[in-house]
Amino acid sequence: MSTQLVAPSAIEGELVRIWEGLEKENKLRASLFTLVVFTKYSARTDYFRHIVQKVVEKFPCRVLFISEDTHSKQPFLKTAVSVLNGPCEQIDIGAAGTDIEKVPSLVLAHLLPDLPITLLWAEDPSKSHPLFERLSSLAHRVIFDSECTDKLSKFAKAVLALHQQGKDVADLNWARTEGWRDLVASLFSSAPVLKEVHIEYNDRPTEFFSHLKIQSLYLEAWFQSRLGKMKCRIDSDCWEKLGPGTIISVKLHDKTGLVYDCSRIRDRYHSVCIQIASPEKCLLPYEFMLGQTASGQSLVQEICRRGTSCHYVDMLQKLC
Amino acid sequence: MPTLIEPGRTSRNIDPCVLVIFGATGDLTARKLAPAIYNLGKDGSLPPNFALLGFARREKSHEQFRQEMHAAVQQFSRTKPIDEPFWNHFQNQIFYHQSEFDDDAGYEKLAQQLRELDNQFATRGNRIFYLSVQPKFFPIIVSKLKQHGLLSDPKSPSWSRVIIEKPFGRDAASAATLQAQLSKDLDESQTYRIDHYLGKETVQNVLVFRFANSIFESLWNYKHIDHVQITMAEDIGIGSRGNFFEEEGILRDIVQNHIMQLLTLVAMEPPVNLSADAIRDEKVKVLQSVRPLSNYVRGQYGAGFVNGTAVPGYRQEPNVSPTSPIETYFAARLFVDNWRWAGVPFYLRCGKRLPKRATEIAITFKDAPGVLFQQRDKHNPPNVLVLRIQPNEGIALRINCKTPGPSSPIQPVKMDFRYGSYFGQSPPEAYERLIWDCMLGDNTLFARNDEVAQSWQIFTPVLEKWAAEVPKAFPNYEAGTWGPEEAEKLITQDGRAWRLL
Repeated sequence: MSTQLVAPSAIEGELVRIWEGLEKENKLRASLFTLVVFTKYSARTDYFRHIVQKVVEKFPCRVLFISEDTHSKQPFLKTAVSVLNGPCEQIDIGAAGTDIEKVPSLVLAHLLPDLPITLLWAEDPSKSHPLFERLSSLAHRVIFDSECTDKLSKFAKAVLALHQQGKDVADLNWARTEGWRDLVASLFSSAPVLKEVHIEYNDRPTEFFSHLKIQSLYLEAWFQSRLGKMKCRIDSDCWEKLGPGTIISVKLHDKTGLVYDCSRIRDRYHSVCIQIASPEKCLLPYEFMLGQTASGQSLVQEICRRGTSCHYVDMLQKLC
Repeated sequence: MPTLIEPGRTSRNIDPCVLVIFGATGDLTARKLAPAIYNLGKDGSLPPNFALLGFARREKSHEQFRQEMHAAVQQFSRTKPIDEPFWNHFQNQIFYHQSEFDDDAGYEKLAQQLRELDNQFATRGNRIFYLSVQPKFFPIIVSKLKQHGLLSDPKSPSWSRVIIEKPFGRDAASAATLQAQLSKDLDESQTYRIDHYLGKETVQNVLVFRFANSIFESLWNYKHIDHVQITMAEDIGIGSRGNFFEEEGILRDIVQNHIMQLLTLVAMEPPVNLSADAIRDEKVKVLQSVRPLSNYVRGQYGAGFVNGTAVPGYRQEPNVSPTSPIETYFAARLFVDNWRWAGVPFYLRCGKRLPKRATEIAITFKDAPGVLFQQRDKHNPPNVLVLRIQPNEGIALRINCKTPGPSSPIQPVKMDFRYGSYFGQSPPEAYERLIWDCMLGDNTLFARNDEVAQSWQIFTPVLEKWAAEVPKAFPNYEAGTWGPEEAEKLITQDGRAWRLL
């Protein structure tokens, strides 16, 4: 459905008008939550629009999509409304310069009462921004994308600081490694003593991703926060159709000499082949399903959750 | 005893009458009264024998007054466009009378004009006097009406009723004085103290919702309810009402009357029947049970942004002192010390220039025992029942629900009833209902003397304290935010939070 530019004061009225028109087609508005997205206008803005589309395909919600134009020489505030998939609706807020100060008043006026509010803060939280505190204070849950940071340790400190204020936090890159963490947990019935971990990730750059090593660094820090210090090596490969930065394989060496070699299968990316072997013996390989890794799925799953993962917090502390 | 009235009938016959509006050239007449009377007439709810007489100090002809009423209806009526054929007929029942409010000659002429209208429209001496004037004129007008024989005896066949606009007094003492002055000339049965909130359909529905649905009423007590929040938020400032607001402040303008009416309806016990006095008896008992206030906050807005637009601070508004100590925000924690509500806090808040316009009553239920379905040690959000008074009139209940799929996180969802979706047309304006009730002689939806007095008893100590302490930190909240930080502390110190509306 097309996007209608409207004056800020006319947003609610315009949405009512659109929905009344759609009632004749038996389309009704409904929402499970409000998703507030903040991003600075760049090539990644389209990426976030794309993953928001994945969310609305799965859950009815109201999206407040805020994009800041840092290149504009003139301050401006533009608002638009549109109806998305099924019962969802989106309010677009574009702002620049001093008009960015007006944005919180718009957000406050259009939150849905009694339903969770999730903020996807697509910028680096370690860099000061006039909207960050005001928007994060409204949200029940703040989701970050560590892809936006150049300094992971500063990012980790900023996220931890927010968590310590009592806010639920989550991270898209952390969510992207969930399948691998599940896989590793399934290998051992008790905490193993690992000698070495070897992680390989997909080094296929795109316009949306440039810090491709982060998921591997997260997994490494997770190993160390759970199992103590060990030797780690991170390498890369380039797989054409696999998402950039995605982990391709994990090889674990334990103190008894067993090697757990877990590698994605080239023509079935969601499946990992697990081979457990030692110089003396070799078990039959088997497969593990990592689940959906399609773009946007990690955001979908993080929105549904509540609370903050204690493993994530421990991992961030390791990165600080 | 058998009567001629069939039980269960909802439409009632209305006596013929003349409605006299004092202050007929004022803002309230244009915005609310004229459209209400027009819509009542258009819907066929006015008696066939009816006349409207505007009383004000400005010189003007009947025709000029009719034109002003027409313009007001055109601009402010909930039904548009104006029904010209109806209006052309209806305007012949509208008249104007010019006089000062204390001029005996003016009242003599008024009496003469009312007699003529009785003869012309067969209104049988029945009168409603609507006092849409400054409160200082209430006793003068009532006394003059009595003096000139315009107030009939309550026992006589023809009736006189006086509708008195708020504010009824400025504190407990002034309300008592005003009441003493009025009651010299006016019986309580003839006094209709208007609180337009009571005329709203959604407010009237509070009693229906509570007492016609057993599932909720059985949970309506301290055992199941954690707390209640009553919010009356406005995104607008004070507009052209600077002079008025400088005299009143939000506590007198909204809290003492509208918010307390909502509180009493939520907290009252079931009345023995639906008679006006039975309902008002129960409301008074609630007010009598309110513990003296000890936890409250006042605020005043500074400049800021509302809905993306820059707005001035209160002290920069027209007709407002640049050092004004008047409050535009009020929040309080209040306890109703009776069996039903023991220990349950009622959090009240209202303010100007808040992020959005919303009036609601939210009942937050106690948490479900946390032994099951916790996620990462987090309780699921509690059930909340919201009675939305305006806008989006309706009722919503938040419940927790399993998200489809094997991992089964729990998601809060809302069951939402909207008046507009079910009943279609826009509900009648509060003033329509209240004027209609007054014509019928039903004062259920008007405040009784003891209700008003009791409410002032609660807030007078607050007003006295404020009068003695000039607020140092005003303005203490930015326009477009949910109020001062102290208001946040008021509720967070109890481990709760204001609802984000």
